Amino acid sequence: MSRRPAKGDYIETDTGNKVSRKAVLVGTQNIMLGGKTVIQPEVMIRGDLVRTAQAQPPSGGSAAPPNTTAVAIGRYCFLARTVLLRPPGRIYKGVFTYMPLRIGDHVFIGQGTVVQAASIGNHVYIGKGCVINEFAIIKDYVKVLDGTIVPANMVIPSFSIVAGKPGRVVGELPDGAHDEFELRDLYKTVGNNPQPAAA
Amino acid sequence: MSSKRHSVLPAVDRSGPKPPVNFSTSLTISDNAVLQGTHSITMQAETVVHPRSRIESSVGSVLVGRRCIIQERVHLGAPSDNQDKGTGGVSLGDYVLIEAGSIIEAGGTEIGEGSIIQVGSKIGSGAKIGKNCTVSHLSVIANGDVLPDNTVVYSNGTRRTDKRGTPELRKLSIVKQIAMLRKMIPSNPDKFR
Repeated sequence: MSRRPAKGDYIETDTGNKVSRKAVLVGTQNIMLGGKTVIQPEVMIRGDLVRTAQAQPPSGGSAAPPNTTAVAIGRYCFLARTVLLRPPGRIYKGVFTYMPLRIGDHVFIGQGTVVQAASIGNHVYIGKGCVINEFAIIKDYVKVLDGTIVPANMVIPSFSIVAGKPGRVVGELPDGAHDEFELRDLYKTVGNNPQPAAA
Repeated sequence: MSSKRHSVLPAVDRSGPKPPVNFSTSLTISDNAVLQGTHSITMQAETVVHPRSRIESSVGSVLVGRRCIIQERVHLGAPSDNQDKGTGGVSLGDYVLIEAGSIIEAGGTEIGEGSIIQVGSKIGSGAKIGKNCTVSHLSVIANGDVLPDNTVVYSNGTRRTDKRGTPELRKLSIVKQIAMLRKMIPSNPDKFR
């Protein structure tokens, strides 16, 4: 093509993140994307809700620069439309503070889901319309079915299937089911030059 | 490509009439909030309004009490599809926390002091929520429904009464949350005047 390509719907960064121009990222300086992450339109990430109460520095150590990451996302994550990521908040040593929200690699988050977890492991699938509440911890290889409400402070062990309001562990992933968590193919199907899905 | 990217939030839809507002001087309102409508919007002392929340007064006036928190994506005063809707707007008592993505329909809707509306709930037109209630995540309160004080709505509409008697602790937690949010959210009330 001789002409410069038109401005696409996505911003593609050097590390391969595909961020929709219609996504609302508040406080971008506090949001870390690991690379190859897809952020679809109307996703909202509250990076401005940073931790205010700092952990005590280790004894004898000099004061390290405060870590202000509010939301950290790993590689090959997929945030579907209208997902909301907001760091969890609680009262810590007498003052209210937000804590960082950490998401691992190959995490799929379905449409309309609100995530306020403390940490989400690798290879996690979260369905549509879920609410993951404050300080929930989801380990690796977990499937959260559509419409689940994961209660605050719940810890979900690896290889679980979670469903219900409130969410409970309803089953265990069978041995052969790990491949479906692979998000590399899904990553290729969106962006400014989407590839057709592999047959 | 520059190494430092200063992203700008996509523009918000500000179509429609600009409502008359009555703000307390200690209000914290993000300039990314959306205020629409023709009736008055009143917000009392130390209330916090997060970015991207939408407050609409096209059906009736909106009153937000003292020390309320309205989180992102909340739609306060949404027009109802209910035909025989009551007149009037929305009125929130003091210490009300409305979490992300909730929809509060207009039409004489009232939410009592110290109540919490959790993520993604919908409060129908004309519903009356008592004091210190908890409407848990993704709950739907029907049009005109009445919740007595201290009611907890959870798990697809099951109800029970909160007998813990901890409304004072809850208020304290909201006060602490507001103290921090006021420092964190850049406020620009003049934009809406």
